[in-house]
Amino acid sequence: MRGKFIVLILIQVLLLTGMIIYRQYWVHTGQRIILVTEPVDPRDIFRGDYVRLSYEISRLDLNKLGVKERFKRGEKIYVHLEKDDRGTFSASSATKVQPAGKTFIQGRVSNVSANAQRYTIHLLDDFGNIHVLEARWFHGKKGERLTFALDARNRVLNYSKEEKSPGSGNATNRWITGTVGEIKVEKVTQLNVEYGIESYFVEEGKGRQIEASRESRNLRVEVSLRKDGQGMITALVMGKTVFR
Amino acid sequence: MAKDKEDLRFNKRLNQEIERWLIEGIIEPAQKQNILARYKLLEEAEQKAGPGKLVTTLSLLSSILIGAGLLLFIASNWSAIPKWGKLSIIFGSMVASYGLGFYMRYEKGNYPRVGASLILLGSLIFGTGIFLIAQIYHISVHYPHGPLLWGLAVLPLAYFLGYKSLLSLAILDLLIWMGMESSFWVSAFTNLLNFYPLITLYLMAGIALWSIGLTHMGIERWRKISGPYVGFGVVLTFLPSYLLTFNFFWSEWLGSIDLLIFYLGIGGLFLISTILRLFLREKEKGWTLETLSLFFVLLIALFVALFLPGRVSQILRERYLLIANILFALGVIGLIVLGYIRRYPSYINIGLLFFVLDLVARYFDFFWKLLPRSLFFIIGGLILLLGGVMLERKRRKVLASFNIEELD
Repeated sequence: MRGKFIVLILIQVLLLTGMIIYRQYWVHTGQRIILVTEPVDPRDIFRGDYVRLSYEISRLDLNKLGVKERFKRGEKIYVHLEKDDRGTFSASSATKVQPAGKTFIQGRVSNVSANAQRYTIHLLDDFGNIHVLEARWFHGKKGERLTFALDARNRVLNYSKEEKSPGSGNATNRWITGTVGEIKVEKVTQLNVEYGIESYFVEEGKGRQIEASRESRNLRVEVSLRKDGQGMITALVMGKTVFR
Repeated sequence: MAKDKEDLRFNKRLNQEIERWLIEGIIEPAQKQNILARYKLLEEAEQKAGPGKLVTTLSLLSSILIGAGLLLFIASNWSAIPKWGKLSIIFGSMVASYGLGFYMRYEKGNYPRVGASLILLGSLIFGTGIFLIAQIYHISVHYPHGPLLWGLAVLPLAYFLGYKSLLSLAILDLLIWMGMESSFWVSAFTNLLNFYPLITLYLMAGIALWSIGLTHMGIERWRKISGPYVGFGVVLTFLPSYLLTFNFFWSEWLGSIDLLIFYLGIGGLFLISTILRLFLREKEKGWTLETLSLFFVLLIALFVALFLPGRVSQILRERYLLIANILFALGVIGLIVLGYIRRYPSYINIGLLFFVLDLVARYFDFFWKLLPRSLFFIIGGLILLLGGVMLERKRRKVLASFNIEELD
């Protein structure tokens, strides 16, 4: 009886050890890439012990990428990645089949918006600079003076007629005020994709410190990619601080 | 353990009978002493067993508390404890708990109940270990794998030791896995609130578990662990069925073709367990009726899940609702009758519980709009009170007729 009991417990120990070995093997054999990320909710980054992360590649504009294939919710997707001048990777294309000889990450389509809208707004600021802003919704008119709240990737979070001093805002967004110029509306197909790297664990209390830091706008994630494109977070990089 | 209980019952009965024999002059007072002396050991055992249930409950609770405490300790000292420290706590406490439990229960045998609880604690630590290691190493690949791994690893241990607690844990893990995994398969599953397809899925799982439990009952060495299967099975069959007696739940698709693989798996388990039961020598009373009813309900659930459109006209919806209500009432009556024929207090208790729940729900359905609110609650309260007293008396009578004590 004792022998069999020990064998059964050993199996459990091996399963747990197997998880660690599997992960270590993945990290050592996988390709390391850096992705730009931001917390999902800009007002409250660290809710509890998990950080929910959203990536540039979490929302794909198929028209922009020139992808003609149609995707369904729940379907596997291979997003092709290219290194940009910031040293981070961003999406260059997407396919249903695994591409050969390219860097790619595997994900699952979590939502398809076939008739999503993309607004391109030209904004003239007080210093005479023209900013090209991208928004998912906009009801303003040409010639109106507006203040836009932008996220870390310069996308419009919201806007108002209220004046804000330039550069003000909280840790995760910034404000820009100016006169609205040309407005362009396009119908696009947008995919929301999940890669299994959307949550990151931090211990109690630590989250508040990170949240308070202005560096949280500059969040990067180091991901190790397996051969089949499955990714795993190996580090969270915030400015010069690295969490492993 | 079951044998101990039988002995204790016998001892109690013996004491009562001896008093009668003495009055009727069958035995002399000296003989009474002799007989009682012979069974003195049993009496001692009874004294020991008195707080036994308390010991089991306390040690079970302490297992859960220690498991939760361990998890919280690691979580709140995350940065203070290095990686190897966290791993040592997980592996060390798991192996120690299993080892000590085994020693106390089987090797030394001095604290069998505490020993069993420690083994359960070992399994709880194993499960928390899966999630902690996933957190330590940021393994977030397909999170339903967590409960699946937990359940599959605890299942053989439950069979080997014959523990209902471990088996219940494994079944619970696998049921949670099923719910989580299925949400990845349904393309219409946009959020957690859209749980309609889960109703029929869990109903089918309940029927399969029930059937697996019945098969276990007929196999001598597995009989003592058939309880969790039948218990989870009966409750899981009736709870989703109860939901389907409400108008509200017939407004959406109650299943999906995307879940076909789950339906096939569950159907397969049901068929295998039923076929195995055909070959068993010992069969319970009324087993044919029970098996056929389960098969019938499984087919209906499958039909509803795959073929019944979600949005239908009000008239059609009311018809479905009527059929669901009739079937549910028949099911409840069937369960109580089966419990009576087979002398299963648990069937009768669960049957009566759903009978009362159904009564309350229908009372709300029919009288909410008809009666003034105050009268509605007063009458409702009175019906419940009187109904409760009547049901309790009837229940006791039925259980007493089995001539066995109800295990609480």
